[in-house]
Amino acid sequence: MRSTFHGIELAKRSLFAHTAWMNTTGHNISNANTPGYSRQVVNLVASRPIEAPGFSKSGMPGQLGMGVEYESIKRVRERFLDEQYWNANRSLGEWEIQADTLTKLEKVFNEPSDSGIRTVLDNFWKSWSELSKDPENVTSRKIVRENAMALMDAFNETSKKMTDMQNDLARSVTVKADHLNTLTDQVAQLNYEIYRIEGLGDNANDLRDQRDLLIDELSKMVNVTVREEDNGYVVTGGGIELVNGRESTQTTAADWEGAYNGNALSSGEMFGTIKSRDVLVNDYLSQLNELANTMANGEVTITIPSGSILPEGTVLNDITYSGTNRLLTSDLTVTVKGLNGLHQLGYTFTKPAQKGEVFFTSKDGGPITAGSIRLNPNIEKDPNLIASSMRVESKPEGDVAVKGNNTLALLMSQLKESSFKFNPIGSNNGITKGTIDDYYRSILGQLGVESKEALRQQENNSLLVDQVEGRRQSVSGVSLDEEMSNLIKFQHAYGAAARFMTTIDQNLDKVINSMGVVGR
Amino acid sequence: MALRVTPGMMHRQMVRNMHSNLTRMDNRQNVLSTGMKLNKASDDPVGITYSLRYRSDLSINEQYQRNADTAKSWLDYTDTVLTQVNDMSQRAYELLTQAVNGTNPQEAMNACAIELKQIYEQVVSLGNTQMNDKYIFNGQLTDVQPYDLTTAGTQKTDNMSIQYRFAEGAGLNINITGNEVFGEPKAGDNLFLVLQQLQDSLRTGNQDAARSELDNLKSRLVKVNEARSTIGAKINRIDLISTRLTDLELNLTDMQAKTEDADMAETILKVKQDESVYQASLATGARIIQTSLLDYLR
Repeated sequence: MRSTFHGIELAKRSLFAHTAWMNTTGHNISNANTPGYSRQVVNLVASRPIEAPGFSKSGMPGQLGMGVEYESIKRVRERFLDEQYWNANRSLGEWEIQADTLTKLEKVFNEPSDSGIRTVLDNFWKSWSELSKDPENVTSRKIVRENAMALMDAFNETSKKMTDMQNDLARSVTVKADHLNTLTDQVAQLNYEIYRIEGLGDNANDLRDQRDLLIDELSKMVNVTVREEDNGYVVTGGGIELVNGRESTQTTAADWEGAYNGNALSSGEMFGTIKSRDVLVNDYLSQLNELANTMANGEVTITIPSGSILPEGTVLNDITYSGTNRLLTSDLTVTVKGLNGLHQLGYTFTKPAQKGEVFFTSKDGGPITAGSIRLNPNIEKDPNLIASSMRVESKPEGDVAVKGNNTLALLMSQLKESSFKFNPIGSNNGITKGTIDDYYRSILGQLGVESKEALRQQENNSLLVDQVEGRRQSVSGVSLDEEMSNLIKFQHAYGAAARFMTTIDQNLDKVINSMGVVGR
Repeated sequence: MALRVTPGMMHRQMVRNMHSNLTRMDNRQNVLSTGMKLNKASDDPVGITYSLRYRSDLSINEQYQRNADTAKSWLDYTDTVLTQVNDMSQRAYELLTQAVNGTNPQEAMNACAIELKQIYEQVVSLGNTQMNDKYIFNGQLTDVQPYDLTTAGTQKTDNMSIQYRFAEGAGLNINITGNEVFGEPKAGDNLFLVLQQLQDSLRTGNQDAARSELDNLKSRLVKVNEARSTIGAKINRIDLISTRLTDLELNLTDMQAKTEDADMAETILKVKQDESVYQASLATGARIIQTSLLDYLR
């Protein structure tokens, strides 16, 4: 036997259920543009009918419906797409940083231009050729000196810019580690809140959205894996367990360096930053160092023409030149150690003539690098110490350099097209023998290839991330059109339920107030 | 089920397309405003190595052309001096043939001797010719005067050559030594000695001795002319080298342009194309994201 007020209850349930839906729709509309938000739906189910099979079942036919109720409010989301997003995002992070670094390196080298190392290098060789035409003239010497100093400045400046970049990248690792700690703290906090709410049987939709948004951000920084356990997400990044339930691990830059060196950190911005510093910038810096050092000290073969007089005590090809055999009677092909070695075979214009000093020295006395190379300070002070002549005349007051002899200046200018021996260790440049220009060009060639590849990878991964994000938006994004039509749908249902209640009310009114008054 | 499309997706897609259109336009504008398609290494990693090579080659080519110009002026100057030496020697030869015809009185021969003295002094001064403060006939000892007025006939000049370079592996000795032009010291046909001895012979009226110098003078004239033709040949070679360097410069500039420079017509066309694509994407995008169901609900 059903209750008199059955209809009222039924209508009330309908009003409640549809109110819940309309509120959820309102929530969806409000969060249409909230980052990480997934649309929510209300699970409506028909209420359980009252007359279950059993002894107390009345004899009335049929199961009378008991109206509607909502079971749960859920967010619409696909975990699979999240995983895809996280995978694509970490590659994007890695390549973004690398592309950025390589683009900056291109700016540092600034080629092709009229102000890069190539230009000053060309000017340096040209000044020796100019000197060979006019070796007597101090002006030509000063031009050689100025161009040598310009070249040194270019080397020093480029090296400094790269070292600065390395320092910036190192700082960036620390900043990123700090940021990562903030993120993992928040994830752990959310883990706990979600655990508490869902322990009571509800879905913590909005908190889950926030947690996933944090993982989105994390996934760009390091290669994360996420496992869902009873106590929440267990997040591992670069081999380090970052979050487990309520607990988060605080990491430092050193931890990430360790993970990078142990190959556990294999992707993401953190990886890209450390790789940029230790591999990319480092490689180009060491190539530039090799270039500077080889120019100063690298082995190169030259031919000294006959008639030249070697400085007393010179040792070439294991032969010591002293006394009368200093005068070469035939052309002599020998290997010397770079511009420094060659310069020491000539004579300065001092009185008496001295053998040339080393041309390049190191600022700090250590090995010559692009950062430490400088023109010999003595030559910087006195351009007459630039040797251009390879011939002396004995005079009563001592040896005097033959000023018109331009052999050394010619040999120096010839070094432009001479093959130097390069040390391939410590860099990715495979050239073991080649001209200074060749080596420099190969640096730029490699930079171009790497930079283009990084830009391409960045572009591809960005497309991939966008594509996955599009899929996610397709599933979880709020469509206002949809929400509006839902709103109308539920508004209509709400109105109808209210009308239904009114009908029942009128029925009851009839029964209570209008019945049993016949003949009044 | 068909893909559910949400405004978020469309918005994102539109922003993305707009962004990529703008990036393309930005790149193209950069090409257009610099006139270069190769602005950084990654624009063309192969091209960059060629570009750097052409630029270096052009730069050193400029230097070689300057070297050739200097060498040319040095050789031209040497040629002028040698012409004068030749003229002087010719004049001496004419004087000599006049003087030794056996009919001249001593006074006439004295007059000849005086003119020969002038010629001698002039030739010595030619031997000490300087260009840019450099003695051109003294080998590498360009700062040492090769000849004295009194002892010119016995002085040895430096015999080392001065080389200029005009290309990889292409050098040229541009100097000629005094001994080559005026004769080895104390040699019979040393111009200075001949001129001095002629003066002495004519002053003392010794016509036979004077006549015997005729052959020496003749042989020197031949050698001076040989030296002139050597210099002439070198000048020709420098001219050839200059022409080749200029040709090379043209070729290199052309190749550099092909590697670095943008095809303007094509770029402008593409910029126009990009512009219309961009405008179309803006127009459609604006239309799509503006409409929603709300526009039609009462």
